[in-house]
Amino acid sequence: MIQLFHVTKEYPGDGPALQDVTLEIDKGEFVFLTGPSGAGKSTLLKLIFCDEPATSGQLLLFGKNVAKIRPSAIPFVRRNIGVVFQDFKLLPQRTVAENVALPLEVRDLADKEIRRRVRMLLRSVGLEHRADKFPPSLSGGEQQRVAVARALAADPTLLLADEPTGNLDPDRTLEVMELLHGANARGTTVVVATHDRSLLERYKRRVVVLDHGRLLSDGDSVRRVSGS
Amino acid sequence: MTAFRPVYFTRRALDAMLRGPYVAFVGTATIFVAVFATGLLAAALGGAERLLQGWAGEVQISVYLAPGADLEAAARASRALAPGRAVEAVPAATALRRLAETLGDEARVLEGVGPGALPDAVEVRAPGITLAGARELARVLRGVPGAAEVDYGNAWLEKLEAFVARAQVAAVVLFAALAVATAVLVSNTLRLAVFARRDEIEIMKLVGATSGFVSAPFLIEGVLQGLLGAGLAVLALLGLHALLVPRLQTAVALAGTLTLRDTLPLPLVLGLVLGGGSVGLLGSALSVARTLRRMHGT
Repeated sequence: MIQLFHVTKEYPGDGPALQDVTLEIDKGEFVFLTGPSGAGKSTLLKLIFCDEPATSGQLLLFGKNVAKIRPSAIPFVRRNIGVVFQDFKLLPQRTVAENVALPLEVRDLADKEIRRRVRMLLRSVGLEHRADKFPPSLSGGEQQRVAVARALAADPTLLLADEPTGNLDPDRTLEVMELLHGANARGTTVVVATHDRSLLERYKRRVVVLDHGRLLSDGDSVRRVSGS
Repeated sequence: MTAFRPVYFTRRALDAMLRGPYVAFVGTATIFVAVFATGLLAAALGGAERLLQGWAGEVQISVYLAPGADLEAAARASRALAPGRAVEAVPAATALRRLAETLGDEARVLEGVGPGALPDAVEVRAPGITLAGARELARVLRGVPGAAEVDYGNAWLEKLEAFVARAQVAAVVLFAALAVATAVLVSNTLRLAVFARRDEIEIMKLVGATSGFVSAPFLIEGVLQGLLGAGLAVLALLGLHALLVPRLQTAVALAGTLTLRDTLPLPLVLGLVLGGGSVGLLGSALSVARTLRRMHGT
């Protein structure tokens, strides 16, 4: 599903954010990307999300070379990808239901179908009763659950989460992680960038470790945590 | 490809305007001022042109004769020089009587004034003639035997005609400059609206919205603000017409025939409203395209 071959990303006037990274993530996998701040986790997600181009190397997404995707086709690639951010990125002036409906509106679904799916999604994250509230009136955990519902709204084949639990307390962290695991269990490939070691210990999943833009190791979480 | 969903995009545009009324107000106000200024200029020019035409409907050319000149011979010559026009020989005594009638109660100022105080004259009526035509006819009538002076109207009309001619040339340049300035101004104003909602644009892009999908509500918002601003400007111009024209009619007799069709004809009103909408669309398109270019992806 995702293949990186010797990918390097450099920003002008800065050192390389990613250096010669080669990595493959298969369909249906659940992968933790970890490493200290500045390791290149977010940069890697941005490249996968077609938000920025790689400076060198090749990135294949869904079997297509990202560098060769026409700019006008990128939105359609993104419709197969759900994204969750640490800061939620919800629209404060739109209700919870309207936020979740965004990816469905983009896909030109009928209003009735949108309402049905939004109701279902909000029920799945336990927020059906908050549908008409505005995000600022919700707790951090609730906002992140809304963000997860939005990311999953269009049944993406790939879900990227950048520090999705960074702003949450332990209980809310578990709630959000359970939602991500649920999506993975239903077949969605999930890539979670985190520096929270407790998550790696709790969930025995594949862990890719980055440091200073280099891929340090790639293996299961038990080995990673005990070895580090 | 983004499916064009006018109802959905219009709903989003209206929603955005309601949620950000200040920015919508500034955009609408900018277009209001621009359309009002343009409309005022066009209405003033239209009114001035109508006044000139109105004068033409009443024009009378007077050929004043030198003392001792043959009035009948002058009248015959005038008929020959102005074929088809009504020509009247007015002896000095008749002219004095008419002047007394015109003065009414003030006629006593003419006490002691003899018939010789005014010259004999030939009056040529030329309804429907243009100012240029009147000027040419006056030049021809100067050839009447015994003619001392030819008068065809008031000097201010000459000045008005010259002003209108110059203003019409200036108006074309001014309209073009105003349209460009308004588009830039509106573009900058609407840029505020786009900038205020850059988070929304970013999130729309995150969930897979195409540039067309992101832009459409902004474009509709621009058109709505343009139509609203222009519509209000037209209403203000109508109000101004209702306020000023009656006062003008009491000050200038010729303005008595001035109607709404002269100052704000339907094509002008439609042009102003559609122009406002177009400027809103153009300004919005410029600002949203600029913002999207600056963002990552497309």
